[in-house]
Amino acid sequence: MSTYAHPDVLVDTDWVADHLDDDDVRLVEANEDVLLYDTGHIPGAVKVDWHTELQDPVQRDFIDEAAFAELCETKGIGPDTTVVFYGDKNNWWACYAFWVFRLYGHESLRVMDGGRKKWAAEDRPLTTDAPDLPAVSYPVPEAPDLSIRAFRGEVLAHQQQDGPMVDVRSPEEFRGEITHLPGLPEESSMRGGHIPGARNVPWSNAVNDDDGTFKPRKELEELYQQREGLGPNDPTIAYCRIGERSSHTWFVLTYLLGFDQVKNYDGSWTEWGNLVGMPIEKGKAKPTAADQ
Amino acid sequence: MASFEDIAAGFQMVGRDGRLELLLEYSDKLPPLPEAYQELREAGLNMVHECQSPVFLRPEVHNGTVRIIADVPRNAPTARAFVSILHEAFDGATPDAVATATDYPLRDLGLADLLGAQRTQGLSAIYQRMKHAVAERSHTPIAADSADSA
Repeated sequence: MSTYAHPDVLVDTDWVADHLDDDDVRLVEANEDVLLYDTGHIPGAVKVDWHTELQDPVQRDFIDEAAFAELCETKGIGPDTTVVFYGDKNNWWACYAFWVFRLYGHESLRVMDGGRKKWAAEDRPLTTDAPDLPAVSYPVPEAPDLSIRAFRGEVLAHQQQDGPMVDVRSPEEFRGEITHLPGLPEESSMRGGHIPGARNVPWSNAVNDDDGTFKPRKELEELYQQREGLGPNDPTIAYCRIGERSSHTWFVLTYLLGFDQVKNYDGSWTEWGNLVGMPIEKGKAKPTAADQ
Repeated sequence: MASFEDIAAGFQMVGRDGRLELLLEYSDKLPPLPEAYQELREAGLNMVHECQSPVFLRPEVHNGTVRIIADVPRNAPTARAFVSILHEAFDGATPDAVATATDYPLRDLGLADLLGAQRTQGLSAIYQRMKHAVAERSHTPIAADSADSA
């Protein structure tokens, strides 16, 4: 862990086990499966649901500043609380929640490496007891930090300047053979393919299959930098279908590899692939210098 | 056994947290897979591939009665709960009851908003799989080519 660019954002299951009773630490479970937390969670952890709690119920957008502050208060999170995210599916939604908290400027954020799967595999305690939450007050953040969020106009300008982009969907989605994630036939787009010039690194390539932990830095560098030519000092945009898988890659590039200007395009393919007149490329990515 | 409509009415009577609690109860109620079917599941047959979770679903029809034989791991409680609801509603029903059942199960259960588009698709696939399999095994045409557009 210590070889990562910002190792302080990652904690292991031992660290979590040792800090379960800390008043200034709040564990947050964020899952794909809306019921999983309720079947048993790490003692003291609260649940944050990406769909019902992090997204605006009407408009396609995240909750606003006031709703974010209110959410934190109901979860016992104060502005100085260290929030440790973990979840199912290799921390996919944990990273998404992390990104939303970063968007609203919460300072002290961590991800538990390996997520729920590793905690459970180690036979560590899970409980259905509701956590005892302190009454806290959370000041409404001034404005979201848009240095980590890209909108479509900006993505188009970036594409036209040949700016680096990473498309973290499956190769089939990238090549334009399918317009949806396997298993999600209706969350679809009018057109298939990718934003011209994007590289394709499926998000889950960044984790070890067996225990869900992040791959070592050297392997991640090989994956994103040597093989795909992405650079830590270049403004880079990550996208997927609705911005969830790409928040995982945003985390990897920013904190594990030390890229300093990565934005998540949360409109992603369900926006781009439905807009009239946007440039689209189909098929495999063009060869990079590493391929030649 | 309760009809799907009765089950849905129970879900409609409660708020969001209540629906999650009901789901959790259903998730606990799914009976274990009969031993005779373990081998099929191990062999990867009758899996609902559209679903992200490993859902085993094998609807059968015996003498005009539908049997819902299913297994979903406990670490996929939402899919497990939904399959358990289908078991409760349709195991022991007539093929006709399955054929004429709602085309919008997730909306009727009040789950469309709770789950969002991403999480309802796999469940819709489970439901369609059940309807088609029952129709096929009883030669009852299904009422409509249904799709839950939640």
